[in-house]
Amino acid sequence: MRQLRILSGVVVETMQGLKQGGWSNWLVVSILVIALTIFGGVLQLTMTLKSVVAAWGSQLVISAYLKDGDDPRSVARTVSQLPDVKLVEIVPRDVAWQEMQASFKVASLANPLPNTLHIQLTRPEAVEKTALCLRAMDGIEHVRYPLAVARNLNRFRQFLEATGVAVTAALTAATLMVIGNTIQLVIQSRMREIEIQSLMGVSPWYIKGPLVLQGAAYGLVSALVATSLIWAGRVYVEACVAGQLVGFLPLAGQQFGYGMLPTFLVLLVLGVSVGAGGSAWTSGRYVKI
Amino acid sequence: MIRLQNVYKDYGGRPALVNVNLHIGVGEFAFLVGPSGAGKSTVMRLLYREEKPTSGQVFIGGIDITRLDRAQVPLLRRRLGIVFQDYKLLPKQTVFDNVAYILRALGVERMEVSRRVRSALTVVNLEDKEDAYPDELSGGEQQRVGIARAIVNGPPVLLADEPTGNLDPVASLEIVQLLERISQRGTTVFISTHDQFIVNSLRKRVVSLKAGQVAGDVDSGVYEMETIG
Repeated sequence: MRQLRILSGVVVETMQGLKQGGWSNWLVVSILVIALTIFGGVLQLTMTLKSVVAAWGSQLVISAYLKDGDDPRSVARTVSQLPDVKLVEIVPRDVAWQEMQASFKVASLANPLPNTLHIQLTRPEAVEKTALCLRAMDGIEHVRYPLAVARNLNRFRQFLEATGVAVTAALTAATLMVIGNTIQLVIQSRMREIEIQSLMGVSPWYIKGPLVLQGAAYGLVSALVATSLIWAGRVYVEACVAGQLVGFLPLAGQQFGYGMLPTFLVLLVLGVSVGAGGSAWTSGRYVKI
Repeated sequence: MIRLQNVYKDYGGRPALVNVNLHIGVGEFAFLVGPSGAGKSTVMRLLYREEKPTSGQVFIGGIDITRLDRAQVPLLRRRLGIVFQDYKLLPKQTVFDNVAYILRALGVERMEVSRRVRSALTVVNLEDKEDAYPDELSGGEQQRVGIARAIVNGPPVLLADEPTGNLDPVASLEIVQLLERISQRGTTVFISTHDQFIVNSLRKRVVSLKAGQVAGDVDSGVYEMETIG
């Protein structure tokens, strides 16, 4: 019971600290919202671009032309067991010939086309490796795939990953610094109070606890506001811009945006942990016995 | 109850206390006097472990507090009541909450908190001010709140560092008379001051410091600037 009373005392102190904070609460939350919104926005942009690249990659199709006399279903089964193969579609030579005749005026000849497999992969970077495997297979005569597109997509993806990591690291560091310094200001404004508590014999954790919870509360509120802003921005971009940009690409109907729930969770974890951690670290420097 | 043994303290090589030996018994009431810079506040800070001596030992209730680790310091301070010249009240909390703060931090049951706070406020004659904020009180009243906070946890020792430094003579006398009454209940009271008027009014034990050394220690003494009565 005594421990519960102490814990409830810490919560009451936290609420009083927030109440007494007044305008400085909004100052801290505003700064955190700006930092988290920039961080979350860049995260959204990077992840969205990555999902667009992945979607483009999934549109890449390898065509494998089969040798005469081989059973296309048997070859398709073997191909579907290769790693990174998402879908194997059999195009029988008769069907292909009929389509060709329907599309072009073709003289009545014997069907010269082979049975064909159209192979979609789970990731574009596996195109070249899978093509090599296909070439080595017995039932396959010839393999065709968009080599230049695959390589460019891979380069773009690697660039995005490297940039994403660098930007995320830089923004995380900046966010940590901004939040840490802001919370330091709040704690410095309560230095006298902290000194008095310490001289009264209050345990250091009872002094730090409300400050840490206060930092966590700042992080929580800021994450909520930042997520709302990012969501509003995303809705606007999707309505005004994204439709026009994606319209000419063969990607209609696909969702590319990084989920708002993961974004919120990332911002929540970052905001709360940095808010609480920054408070703990800063208060640790000031609550000296 | 309080014992300093061969205490030496310097700040960057400049001595503040030199070979100080002192003993204050249980329930005793004593003044520590001396001019500014004599080392009074240093002694007080050593007693509530705000600082450690460069050498020597400081005992409270038989425990050498120079050997306490940091985690034990709050436990020591809970056994001391400390009164400061600048009152050190929490400005955004009421009188009641200021006095109740340490009890709540220790998880004392609500009714017991209320009982003890009201009892402490009765001792300092501020029962009718429990809802007031510090800035609504006079200096003397704020210091009485500081004393109520210091005694609310029933400490065996009460240290007062220049408790009348910011008060007029009448309020100063009220404060030391209040501290004397608390001493009569069995609490050891040790007051640092350079206020001649209050020392001479009470005629209690007077320990005199001069340039960081004990220059005199007289029962029923007076403080005549640098002269011991």
